[in-house]
Amino acid sequence: MLNLIHNETLKLLRRRRFAVVIGILVAILAIVSYGQYRQLKNQVNRNWRADTQQRIAHFENNLRRANTNASWARSLRAEINRLQFYLDHDIEPNKPTAPMFVRGFANVAGFLLLPLLVSVLGSDIVSAEHAEGTDKLLMTRPVRRWKILTSKLATLWIFSTLTLFSGGVLAFVISSPFLPARGWAAPTFSGFATTGTFRPELVRQLPLWKDALIAYGLEWYALLTVASIALLLSVVFRSSAGAIGTMLASLIAGTILTRLSPDWTAAKYLFVSALPLADYYTGEPPPYDGMTMAFCITLLGVWAIAAIIAAYAIFTRKDVFG
Amino acid sequence: MTSAAPALSAHELTKVIGRRTIVDRVSFDLFPGEVFGFLGPNGAGKTTTIRMLVGLIRPTEGAVTICGHDIRHQFEEAMRCVGCIVETPDLYRFMTGRENLEHFARMLGVKSSETDRVADRVGMLHRLDQRVGTYSLGMRQRLGIAQALLGRPRVMILDEPANGLDPAGIREMRELIRGLAADGMSIFVSSHLLAEIELMCDRVAIIHHGQILRAGTVRNLIASQRAMEFHVGDVDRAGSVFTQRGVAFEKDHDRLFAAIDEADAAPLIAELVRNDVEVFSARPRLQTLEEMFLDATGGESVD
Ligand SMILES: Nc1ncnc2c1ncn2[C@@H]1O[C@H](COP(=O)(O)OP(=O)(O)OP(=O)(O)O)[C@@H](O)[C@H]1O
Ligand SMILES: [Mg+2]
Repeated sequence: MLNLIHNETLKLLRRRRFAVVIGILVAILAIVSYGQYRQLKNQVNRNWRADTQQRIAHFENNLRRANTNASWARSLRAEINRLQFYLDHDIEPNKPTAPMFVRGFANVAGFLLLPLLVSVLGSDIVSAEHAEGTDKLLMTRPVRRWKILTSKLATLWIFSTLTLFSGGVLAFVISSPFLPARGWAAPTFSGFATTGTFRPELVRQLPLWKDALIAYGLEWYALLTVASIALLLSVVFRSSAGAIGTMLASLIAGTILTRLSPDWTAAKYLFVSALPLADYYTGEPPPYDGMTMAFCITLLGVWAIAAIIAAYAIFTRKDVFG
Repeated sequence: MTSAAPALSAHELTKVIGRRTIVDRVSFDLFPGEVFGFLGPNGAGKTTTIRMLVGLIRPTEGAVTICGHDIRHQFEEAMRCVGCIVETPDLYRFMTGRENLEHFARMLGVKSSETDRVADRVGMLHRLDQRVGTYSLGMRQRLGIAQALLGRPRVMILDEPANGLDPAGIREMRELIRGLAADGMSIFVSSHLLAEIELMCDRVAIIHHGQILRAGTVRNLIASQRAMEFHVGDVDRAGSVFTQRGVAFEKDHDRLFAAIDEADAAPLIAELVRNDVEVFSARPRLQTLEEMFLDATGGESVD
């Protein structure tokens, strides 16, 4: 099995997929951390308390408008509670530091960027073999098909992990020239109410590094799910374009769906709804009622297992034509 | 030769897709050290048969046994005995020849020093460190064979190995295949090029519309098609002489063809001469495999 994973790793690197992923990460992180740097410069001569109060006032104004839809109103209320909590405890929220930036990356990249990068890695891990005609060699060697697929899944998981890890490390490396590099011990608050009513007893205070580890752990779990689904798409589609396209479409459609039709609650069973685990952990309210952390983790697990079972069933049985 | 156990045997292989029977009850045995030709026009079902032999597609009916292992139930053991090229010699174009060979060596669990041995066997050592994307078709064919030779399989299955090669390349390929057979390997070669099959195969099967029409040694197949050709002065009179003696014949300009042995020709010639028919020549005509093939398949291709 190690030999097979060795092979898959070699092919993935040689196809330059991982290089593309790292390139995209570097480019995006460079732009965003420069933006943070500008923000920091502007903040120097500002009063953060006044700023925060102004933002709360602004949100409350929004809330009073008649046409805010339910899910939007809920997230506004949660945000107001959050900011108020910082004010009450005299802690400056979102003070840009490199560690904060690293922590924020898990949230921001979690629901679109990282899943997308993982599907770039995964979408052609099987379909490219078919497109290049090498599947007929791979599958006529004395190795059972399920072992081949297992090596591909393992490789994909390894590289999904590496993508997340590189994302975190790069976020730090790229932002530290612009932002203060210290502050891993800064207090953070998570577990803000997800129902709109503020429940202070749910708030946990953690040092930033611990909080970041939890967020990255959750994100890692979500990415493994995405990788498993990407594997299935790669088995089903004959071209990587079809596989990437489907993944992209479902990620975007899921995002739009939760914004546009919050009433269609069955959408909470889509894997995309549960994907921003790190966000929900921080206190961003999930778009539908009843989406507790346990629900989201279970949901992603079920999606991953179902995708893996389907991928194996199809891959080990299918007739390989030219 | 037939007393040895077959290295590969196909039993009543059938593949139905939708309503079409693409391969229809194909059976044959491949014995150690022989080159077996699988001859058929485009779309006859050669590649589909090969895909079933190596487990890429599941037969609707029938079974394949390689070195005594059923490929359905003992896939790994069976495939350890086979090297193959199916349809086209596709390898990873973004890797070098050596990396490709090492890739498949790792799958087999054989030493990576094997790569040099097999590359040398096909005369590819000098280009091994270039990317496969830069190879010509002939080199990719050879690299494909090198790959198939990894792990010293007893059976080699090659789908149209001469396809796209120039005459020198075809000749090299033929010598390579004969050389491998001389080492005791059993080789299954599909082709629609008759000259190739005739030159390098010990036995052939002719497949058409998914069915094996004829099978046997090349010599026997040719011999079974023996005919005498008579070049005569007056074909009509000669024809009536043949008819009187009950010999079936075909007319073509100033020649008559009759499916008789050389030994039976002498009295016939005497009879013709007695009837004042000039006989310019009478000779046995060996039908080439090509003629026989056209004869057997009706000269049409499916696609
Ligand atoms: N996946 C498929 N679905 C339906 N029909 C197929 C499929 N694959 C092949 N066929 C049909 O099966 C027939 C046999 O195809 P096959 O590729 O085995 O022929 P072949 O003898 O290898 O021909 P060639 O000399 O052109 O390589 C063809 O008529 C083809 O159209
Ligand atoms: Mg073919």
